[in-house]
Amino acid sequence: MRQLLRRLQHAFRFRRFARDLDEEMRFHLDMKRQEFEAAGLDRSKADNAAKRAMGSLLDARQGARDIWVWPWVQGLSMDFKLGLRMLIKYPGLTMVGGAAMAFGIAAGVAGFEILTQMLDPTLPLDQGHRIVGLRNWDAARDRPSPHNAYDFASWREELEQIDDVGAVALSERNLTTDDGTEPVGVAEMTASGFRIAAAAPLLGRTLIEGDETLSAPPVAVIGEALWRRRFFADPRIVGRTVRLGKELRTIVGVMPESFGFPLAHSFWIPLRRDVLDYGPGEGPSLVIFGRLSSDATLEQAQAELAMVGRRRAADSPETHEFLRGQVVPYGKLFLEPRDSWRGLALANTFLVALVVLICANVALLIFARAEARRTEIAIRNALGASRRRIVLQLFVEALALSGLAAAVGLAAARVALHSFWSMREADLGRPLPFWISDGLAPTTQIYAVALTVVGAMIIGALPALNATGRGRQAQLRHSTAGGGGFRFGGIWTAVTVIQVAVTVMFPATAFFFQRWVVEGLTRDVGFRAEQFISARLAMDAETLPSSSKEGVQFHTQFRSTYQDLGRRLESEPGVTAVTFTDTLPGTLHAAERYEIEGIPVSELGREARLAFVDVDFFSALEAPILSGRSFELADFESDSEVAIVNESFVNQLLQGRNPVGRRIRRAALPNVRSPGPWMEIVGVARNLGMVGSDGVGLYRPLTSISSPSVEVAVHVKGTPASFAARLRSLASEVDPTLRVHDLMPLDEVGADLWLESRYLSRVLAVLSGVALLLSLTTIYATMAFTVAQRTREIGVRVALGADRGHVIAVIARRPLTQISLGIVAGGWLVALVFVGLFQSVPNLTEAVLIGAYSVLMMGVCLLACVVPTQRALRLEPNEVLRVEG
Amino acid sequence: MRERTSTETLPGTLDLLIPKVLSRDSMHGYGIAQRLKGLSEDVLQVGESSLYPALQRLLLRGWVQSKWGVSDNNRRARYYRLTEVGRKQLARERRDFDRLIVAIQRVLEA
Repeated sequence: MRQLLRRLQHAFRFRRFARDLDEEMRFHLDMKRQEFEAAGLDRSKADNAAKRAMGSLLDARQGARDIWVWPWVQGLSMDFKLGLRMLIKYPGLTMVGGAAMAFGIAAGVAGFEILTQMLDPTLPLDQGHRIVGLRNWDAARDRPSPHNAYDFASWREELEQIDDVGAVALSERNLTTDDGTEPVGVAEMTASGFRIAAAAPLLGRTLIEGDETLSAPPVAVIGEALWRRRFFADPRIVGRTVRLGKELRTIVGVMPESFGFPLAHSFWIPLRRDVLDYGPGEGPSLVIFGRLSSDATLEQAQAELAMVGRRRAADSPETHEFLRGQVVPYGKLFLEPRDSWRGLALANTFLVALVVLICANVALLIFARAEARRTEIAIRNALGASRRRIVLQLFVEALALSGLAAAVGLAAARVALHSFWSMREADLGRPLPFWISDGLAPTTQIYAVALTVVGAMIIGALPALNATGRGRQAQLRHSTAGGGGFRFGGIWTAVTVIQVAVTVMFPATAFFFQRWVVEGLTRDVGFRAEQFISARLAMDAETLPSSSKEGVQFHTQFRSTYQDLGRRLESEPGVTAVTFTDTLPGTLHAAERYEIEGIPVSELGREARLAFVDVDFFSALEAPILSGRSFELADFESDSEVAIVNESFVNQLLQGRNPVGRRIRRAALPNVRSPGPWMEIVGVARNLGMVGSDGVGLYRPLTSISSPSVEVAVHVKGTPASFAARLRSLASEVDPTLRVHDLMPLDEVGADLWLESRYLSRVLAVLSGVALLLSLTTIYATMAFTVAQRTREIGVRVALGADRGHVIAVIARRPLTQISLGIVAGGWLVALVFVGLFQSVPNLTEAVLIGAYSVLMMGVCLLACVVPTQRALRLEPNEVLRVEG
Repeated sequence: MRERTSTETLPGTLDLLIPKVLSRDSMHGYGIAQRLKGLSEDVLQVGESSLYPALQRLLLRGWVQSKWGVSDNNRRARYYRLTEVGRKQLARERRDFDRLIVAIQRVLEA
């Protein structure tokens, strides 16, 4: 170990080591000379004698160096230098191969980083990996259980593996200052949140435990961005009073920009202690977090929470029977629905495939070069270099190229990431979670190194193994005796065929994906959505409801407020209809499983989407009921169990049979929940933009569902967007605390659902273009190279009187066969994946485009054969034989 | 003509001889060569191409340490000193060497 340290010390200070050694030997030489002078020699003779006696200084220096540096390191560094020299010697290959690999590595690395930050985020906080989220998973509903204030109180007391258990309630409130009112995201948080995130305030103080008591004065801490924007970075902000909702609060501190805990917040108020007084299943919905205690693992904490959960389920079965306590890495509390993970994972697989494809392309190019150097390789081999040594040399040479590409690729990845996150933030219209950063996480950097090494292995080691494989003695004989050109062997034919096939696949993927996105964006929602303006309505709950009864009261008040707004809107001159729903057409609807009376299905029932709608929903959308009846006011009385299904429901779940009068109910989940009450199907509606489950869905009356917000759709004459301001002002007239979100024409709603897909579609288009270009370059370069290697054969054929056209045909046959095979394989892949898997057939334009670039590939291949053949044909046969011989 | 015996006849002996020379006093490279020559009565003439790599090897192993100092003729010179590890190693090497020599002699005298 100490030797290793000394070697490292030498590696870092090798210049000084060399200088010292030189000086030492100079001293030795001088002493030696003086010795000879003392023996009676004159100065010049003494000098010569000293030098002779000393022996070779160069040997001494090299010998000393060999002591410190392992021979294999010296060999590697030599190979690396040779590799760099090769990069300069073949600038075309360096540029094309390097740029392609840089692109591949950039795409792979950026994809990996995005995936990591979205799926497994690392908190940029001290000991961030120990910060965890706690929740109760409702196994009956397959979602996190809300109303967990009681659990928070108990976990805070009982858990030993998790320290500093804290909670935060997220809400939006209207912030009023002298400059007006705007909604802000408010984090009502325990003081432990500031402790866990270990952040120091920029001004004033953070929230403290004392602020949580009921008698404490109402205070707030704001974020730096808000402080700069709304308060013009007022240095005397601490002590100023602002209005939040209906309440006045004193600002006691400003947090730095980097602090966004719990998500992307810049306004914090204390979570009052009375939050601990709720019974099971009551109170607000909290985000609960904590820090794993110093010697606890996530698994231990999970086991402890599960144990506490079992106790709770035994004590309060009515609320906790199906709740399962979960300890998850903090960032995962806020993850997107599982479906979009799959998309991202798929995207990453695609990117890895792209890197491999690119490397295979570059490998083909390098292989051509390795073949050109086979004489050199054979000679080295004959001189005693082992196969391993030669493969290592070519690998290190390739590493020089892939290393260079990685440096460029990493820089490009950072730029790409920066623009990706900015674009995403702009599209989402809200700040990204505080853990999202433009930087590359250490795991991503390791991934980049792995990609670089794998790349070098594909482009270096593989061709080297091939070039030094069996029959290398024969190659040596060939090359020294003027043997003919070479041909790519079986493995390279396979690589060529695969890369052409994948090249055909890439743009096809892009086309289909693009079409899928466009179809999604322009999906027919079954009514004239462009004539509607829609918004989400929500209201401030000034104090967190202290019991389920208070919660019901608040929702009753909310309902009467939005219905009041509905009446006001209807009386507006430009408005023809107003309706409310919990989910707007064109957005993702909640899924549920149902069993249908008289239709035998599996135990789990059939999946359908669900929307709760107002009584006049179908008439307001001008989408009359197709059979049966629409909802009536009586259906909105409590205990009335009715439903209206859509056409897809009838066609797919009932195979077109008449549903009216049939009964359906929510299916039971074995061992988890019993079935829901029977509901009678009273009518059939048109398909009205239900997203998910192939559009199969049903509607139920929007009664007392305790949703904290509701969607309003307003049918207006003229341009819907022009009605936006009026809707806002009417809302604030009805109630100043009624907040209006996402105000936009109804046909634009749901576009955010396609956000990732739109990105992916753009990325795919660019990648496909690059893949095609690279593929064409490779096809040209490798084919032209193989043909050029057959110059001698061409000379012989012409000398023997072969017809020129025939020569070209003979030469082009093999490359053209390879490309054709690739195109056929690619076409088969396209058919298999898209037609087979997605039942999607290319339309005429797409078919023509796929055909066109297949022809283009053949054309490029033909060109690659013809140009060098023509060049060879122009030479005199005897000249060719002489030169090559 | 005096028969020249190089250290090559017994590879690795420099690693034993240098620490021995340094066991009494710290010395520079030239001094070590001189001392070896003197003690061996001019039999061992160590060339720099083997002396300095050997010194570097001993440095790497941690048997000796070096320090720049001033020589008798007032010049900057690098002095080598035997470390505690080197001292123990010397004793061990010495034992091994003695055993080897005895074994060789036994063979030759048989």
